[in-house]
Parts: sequence; structure tokens; C-alpha cells
Amino acid sequence: MQSEKKNPSNQYCCSTLNAVPQNNALLQKSKIPFGLVFAPYKNIGPDEPEVPVVSPEVIVRCKICRAYINPFVTFVDQGTRWKCNICHVVNDLPAFYSWDSKTRQAVDRNTIPELNSSVIEFVATQEYTRGPPQPVVIMFVMDVSFQSIQSGMVATAARTILSTLDSIPNYDNRTKIGFITYDSTLHFYNLNSNLNEPQMLVVSDLEDIFIPAPDDLLVNLSESRSVIESFLNKLGNMHKSTQNVNSALPAALTAANKIIGQIGGKIAIFQSNIPNCGKNALKKREDPSLYNTSKESTLLQPADNWYKEFALDCSRKQICIDTFIFSGQYTDIATLSTLPRFTGGSIYFYPGFDASRAEDANKFSSELSRFLSKKIGLEAVLRIRSTRGVSVKACYGNFFLMASDLVQLPNVNPDNCYALEASIDKDLTSEPYICFQGAILHTSNNGERRIRVFTNIIPVTNNLTEVFANADPRAIAAFTAKKAVERTITDKLEDARNLIINTCIDIMGAYKQAFTSSGQASQLLIIENLALLPVLTQALLKNIAFRRGNIPSDIRSFALSVLYGSPIENALSYIYSKLYAIHILDANTGLPIPNTSQVYMPPRINLSMQRMTQDGIYLLDNSQHIIIWLSRGSNPELVNALFQKPYEAIASGKTTLPTPNNDYATRINNIIEFIRKDRLISYNNSPYVYIVKEDDNTRGWFISHMVEDKLDSELSYPQFLSHLREQVILYKLRDFPSIHHKYSNNYQRRY
Amino acid sequence: MGGEALLFLFAAILSALLLFIMVYFIIMFSDLECDYINPIDLCSKLNQFVLPNYIAHTVLTVLFLLTGKWLSFLFNLPLVIYNVKRYMDNKHMYDATEIFRTLSYDKKESFIKLIFFFISFFLCKLIFY
Repeated sequence: MQSEKKNPSNQYCCSTLNAVPQNNALLQKSKIPFGLVFAPYKNIGPDEPEVPVVSPEVIVRCKICRAYINPFVTFVDQGTRWKCNICHVVNDLPAFYSWDSKTRQAVDRNTIPELNSSVIEFVATQEYTRGPPQPVVIMFVMDVSFQSIQSGMVATAARTILSTLDSIPNYDNRTKIGFITYDSTLHFYNLNSNLNEPQMLVVSDLEDIFIPAPDDLLVNLSESRSVIESFLNKLGNMHKSTQNVNSALPAALTAANKIIGQIGGKIAIFQSNIPNCGKNALKKREDPSLYNTSKESTLLQPADNWYKEFALDCSRKQICIDTFIFSGQYTDIATLSTLPRFTGGSIYFYPGFDASRAEDANKFSSELSRFLSKKIGLEAVLRIRSTRGVSVKACYGNFFLMASDLVQLPNVNPDNCYALEASIDKDLTSEPYICFQGAILHTSNNGERRIRVFTNIIPVTNNLTEVFANADPRAIAAFTAKKAVERTITDKLEDARNLIINTCIDIMGAYKQAFTSSGQASQLLIIENLALLPVLTQALLKNIAFRRGNIPSDIRSFALSVLYGSPIENALSYIYSKLYAIHILDANTGLPIPNTSQVYMPPRINLSMQRMTQDGIYLLDNSQHIIIWLSRGSNPELVNALFQKPYEAIASGKTTLPTPNNDYATRINNIIEFIRKDRLISYNNSPYVYIVKEDDNTRGWFISHMVEDKLDSELSYPQFLSHLREQVILYKLRDFPSIHHKYSNNYQRRY
Repeated sequence: MGGEALLFLFAAILSALLLFIMVYFIIMFSDLECDYINPIDLCSKLNQFVLPNYIAHTVLTVLFLLTGKWLSFLFNLPLVIYNVKRYMDNKHMYDATEIFRTLSYDKKESFIKLIFFFISFFLCKLIFY
């Protein structure tokens, strides 16, 4: 049997270059950034194969570079030894890969998973464990100030946690949970299994926090189940009459850290208010007069270093912090987002949350419930190895970098995606291909130590055409987005914008310089597979994270977090939304595809108002929301079929579609449900349907997604292309700094 | 003349001290590259020396100014300006989350400072004799 050895699928790992230049000079000539976007622990959808789990007698690793055996190694000496594809050392192959002593037969190597599947999970042997594996530990840290109670957040959260208790991974009954609530004081809850009722313990000294009953605050989920249930039933009404508008988040975090610091685990923050009380409180520093100035980036950077230091301390203790933010007012997400950023967590944002709206409550409830029940890896470290001659220059993602190739992840969160930037240090002439191998040592939900290994190989070429012809514009866009987010946080927003546009200009200029004759001097030319690059570049510049305009810094900070953390598919639909026309459906659009969980989707349309008709109904999926656009002249029958009321009676805003009673509505509902389900699994996001009518004041929001049209001071796509063309013509002059400088000023003025 | 001699003796000792701090910095940076130390420990160790280093150097420069040693003062002035600029930009402390990005710059900076203190140490001696 001949097996097919192939790279991990695009969603696990994708490289900006699918043919690596032979040396650094060639890489510099192509100007294409060399990066790898990878999500080794990604969520597995219903139609995807599971990652094979193997437990060989010994985990075979290279004796020099410690790389794991993988499908791309070569066997030498009649198959008795293997040659490492990272460092080229020849190693001995254990006998069990050639001869099965139980069945007394030769082993067919094409059936061994670790020699055939490029993503694999090894069950770690004794030498990979230090002490007992970490149990699942969740510490809920919940704001119970006036805003939280009034918006119904606390009640919804309590209800959801209560109904999800059974789905929290609880192998061997080891899972522990605890609760802290806070306003201007901290409230601890004694949940000891011997009690009938939970006890509330109030601590008002925020300076030197005293932890009462330290052993009973974090309790075993199974043992204390009845007390926890009775607590959650009460929590919704417990602080009902509060008038307290203060929120002592830093003190609550310090306390949570003290309680679970010994074991590690997860802190889930539910915050409705800017942390305005106690030590390290944050101020309302939002200042609209700074928008569109070079000082704007100070609003996107953390205000207080304590949050970063706290996150690092948590990372060291294997604590991951996830943040749910509900405020309608300024909450300083720029500072709060540092907590998940360095601990491998995620940030969830519900602006203007109001639980009395069913859409808001459902969204939060389904995301929280998935958040609690999804598979995560605990106390993880990720090591990246690459073929000699290629080295990792930088890493981007929600984690703390311990060494240049060692990433510390208290939790490996399947919703997160990472990126690395590679450089070529020496000539790769003798290599047919190069190889990246990432290995995550983690504790899986069932308490087992496991190593997830992915191996990606990329052929080497000495031909510049091949380098261009095998570049992946989608990976380039996702990679550049992550890099630009990093640049925004450390430097300035304007630098990030320049980075994005210059990446595109450089690549197109390099292509032009290398391959075009003088006759084509004024044309804008790029190889076919990179044709998407300009439009993705422009869409990225118009993304709410980088766009010019009066954008509240919380919204911008959240958009930056989304781009930084989300998996490649999500990042791409966040950059260039998916637009579908749903007023004309093909025969089977919206019907389920047999034997899968998918539905036939309508064809995608370019993001331009010119592509839309006066009488159309459109559905836009920007990875965070599903927006339905109703044109003024849309067919009344379809509107009625879908909403069961006429156009005039439909209110714009968040909506729940009525239960379908006809074929058309069923198909549209199928499409929406499919998007929702897919999003919930891949990125733990459950978008609600938002209706925008053409003659409505919310239309501006919808139109801002039309990245190919002119928007405020941003160019339309044809204008952008002609701007690119000018810049590319000037590209050759870039060697003369004065001229370059002049035109880069020109560029800055126009954007 | 005793005062002047004392000043230069003091300057020489201080330069030597700063020199050693820079050597220590460079050793620590290469330890980090070889994965012998983690970034958090590195930064907490180095950061306690950053401000004393700046202050010692500034005091020395001010002493030169007060005693009218113009040449020595002018020699030290650029570094003081640089240090003040780093301080104003809030970039003087090492940040564990940024250290791998700034490592090549930090190493270069420490190396140049090392050479600078080395030269100033010998200049002091030359003037002293």
C-alpha cells in the first residue's frame, strides 16, 4: 500500500512561501515576507479527521536536535536507520518500526501513523512528566457592580455556568472551580462540600488582601456539586440591590492568583466596568481629540504596566486568563487585553450588553458554554524547530516567548493562531526542501501528558519565478496583519499602516523589477497567484483596526486582538468579509450537502456597492456578525417569506429570524445556522443576525465593509491600484533615499 | 591639586564599575540567547542596574561640569543625552515580553557603552598621571 504523505492542511499551518528561495539574497530580491501561520491545536470541525493519537514504546527523536520522527524523514542503511530532516544526523531506528514481535511479521511502515500523518499526538512517556498532571481548574472572577447587575450579565453567566457544569471536562473527578465576585470589596465563597449553603466572605481591605478559608474557595466540582449549584442559583439575585459602581479588578485578580497559584489553571474575568477602584485602577483616558493623530497609538497601548507584569506572573504559574468584557462605555480594552495576550487566553467583547435582548443573552450564553466545555491543553510549551540554515526571527501570538524558539502557553487555546517569521541564514543549495516542526507538550483534558507534533516541509528553489508563483497571498495577508498589530502596540498606528502598504508595494515592485521589460513600464503587473494581494492589502488598511477615522479606542483594540489571535480562515473573513446575494438562489443553495454537516453556500460577491442591485437582499459575514442588507426595492414576497412582515415593519438592529414556514426562509436559515455553527466551533464566536435597511442610519456600518469602494478618506480599489502603480514605478528609485522620502510623505498625505 | 586628583581617581573607579556592569549585561544577553536564563529573570536582574548606571554616569558628568573639566564633560555629554532620551521615551527598562525583539539593539547598545567606559577609564588614568 502506498500512502500519501502530505503537509498539514492549510488551517493547521500555512506558509507565505510554498517554495523557499535558496539563499537570503534571493529572498531579499523577492521581498516576500517569509512567515508561517500555524494553529497546531486548532478546533476540529465535524467533517474533519481527528488527529491520530499514538503511544509507541519509545517516542523516537533525533539524538542531536531532539526533533520528533515524522513522515518526511528518509530511511538509510536498508531502512535500519533514519536521517533527521532538521539537522541531517543519522539515527538508529528502533526495531518495532521494522518487526512486530507480537505478530511475528514485518511491519508495513505505511500503516504507522507517526510515519504518515504530519499532525500527530504522542502520549508522553514517564520522562515528559514532572509531578502529577494539572487538573482542570477554573476560577471565575466576576464583576458584580451596578452595571453588571443591571445589564443582567451576572444572572446570565450564573445560569449558563449552572447548565454547563456537566460539560466542563472532568476526567477522574479532578476538576476544581471557585468564584470571586467584586465591586469595591471582594466577596469570596466558601463552597466546602460539608456545607448545605454557600457562605459569602467579604474582604474590604484591598491593599493587603487576606484570603479567608483558603482551602474551601477552590473546590472539587464533583464533591461540592450541590453547594455549587445552590450558589449559582442564588448568584443571579445575590447583589440585586447594589448601587456600587466601583470595580476592584486588580485586587480580585491578585486574590485569584493567590488561590490557584499553587496548581495553575484558568481565570475567567467577567468585567462590565473600567477597573476604577483600589491599587492599579485605570482611568478613563479616552480622548477623541487624539484620534487620527500620531498620539492615537498611546490609547492602544497599555496604561499600566502592572497588568503585563501580572500576566507574566500568571504565565509562570501556568495560569491562563480569559476576559469577557460587557461595557457600553470605555473599559480600556487596550490595557485589559494584555492579560490574555501573554497567557494564551482570548478576549470576548459584548459592547452595550443587555441580557433582556434575547440576541445578546444567547450570544453570550452559547459562547460561554462552549468556552467552558471545549477541549484545551494545559500547562503547555511549544518548541519550534527548523532545518539548519533557517531560523525563527520572531513569533507573534497570544503567549509569552521564553526563548527565541520556545513558547510558554499556560493553556493551549484551540481558538488561537500563532505566526513565526523565519530568516534564511545560510545557503540552502544542498537541501531539496526545508522543514518546520512544532511540538506542543501539554496535559490533555483527560489528564494525560501528550505531545502534539506538526511537521511542514517546503521545497527549496533557486528560481525567482517559482518563488513568486508559489507565494500564498492569503498567508501573506494574515501574517502581515499579525505583524502590523504588534507594530501598532509597540510603535505607532501609522507605522503599522506603512508596514502593510509597503509589504505590497515591495512585492509588486520586486516582481516588476525582475520580470518586466521596459515596454510594460507603466503597467501594474503581478503573477496570477498573487492577484489577491492588492485587494487583501487594501482591505486590511480599511479594517477597523487600522483604518483612519474616529474609531473609539476600545473598538480598535478589540479589532487588533481579533486579528492577532484568530485562526487564518477567520482572520481572512475579518479582513475581507464574505458577501452573498440571497435574493436569487440556485437550485440547491441553502440545502444541506449530503453526508456532511455543510450546506451549499451561494457564490461570494466582491465587496463593492456596484456589485449590488437596487432590489437585492444580501448577507454579509464579517466573522464577528452576520449582517442582512435589505435594499429599498427588495422583493416584498421574499422579505415577507423571510421575516413574515413587510419591509416597512422590519426594525433594523439585532434580530432573531422567525421560525421558517416556507422553502426560501428554510434555506436562508440553513445558511445562517451553518455559519453560526462553524464559527462557534472554529473560533468560539456565535454571531447574531443584524439587519440593516438601506434607508437607515446604520447603513454606514454596513457600507464600511465595502472595502473596494471609497470610504471617507480611504481610496476606492481602482484608485488604490493606480496609487500602487505610481508607487511601483517609483520603486526603482527607492535606492535614493531623498526621492523615496518625498514620495512616502506623499503617500502619508493621501491616506 | 589634590581635589582634581581625587576627582579623577573617583572617575576612574566609577568608569571601571560601569564597565563591569556592561560586561555583566553582555554576558547575560548571551546567556539568554543560549537559553540559560529565562527572559523574566534576565529583565529583573538587569533592570536593577539600569537606573544606578544612569545616575552614576550623570553624577560623574555633572562633577566634570562643576569642576570645569570641559573636555571630559563634552566627552560624556552625548551619552547623558542619549540616556535621558531613553528615559523620557520610557524605553530604559528591559521588558521581558519585548526582549527578543530588541535583543540585537540592546546588545549593540551595551557593547558601545562598554567601549565608551573602557575609553573613559583610560582617559582618566592618562589625565591623572
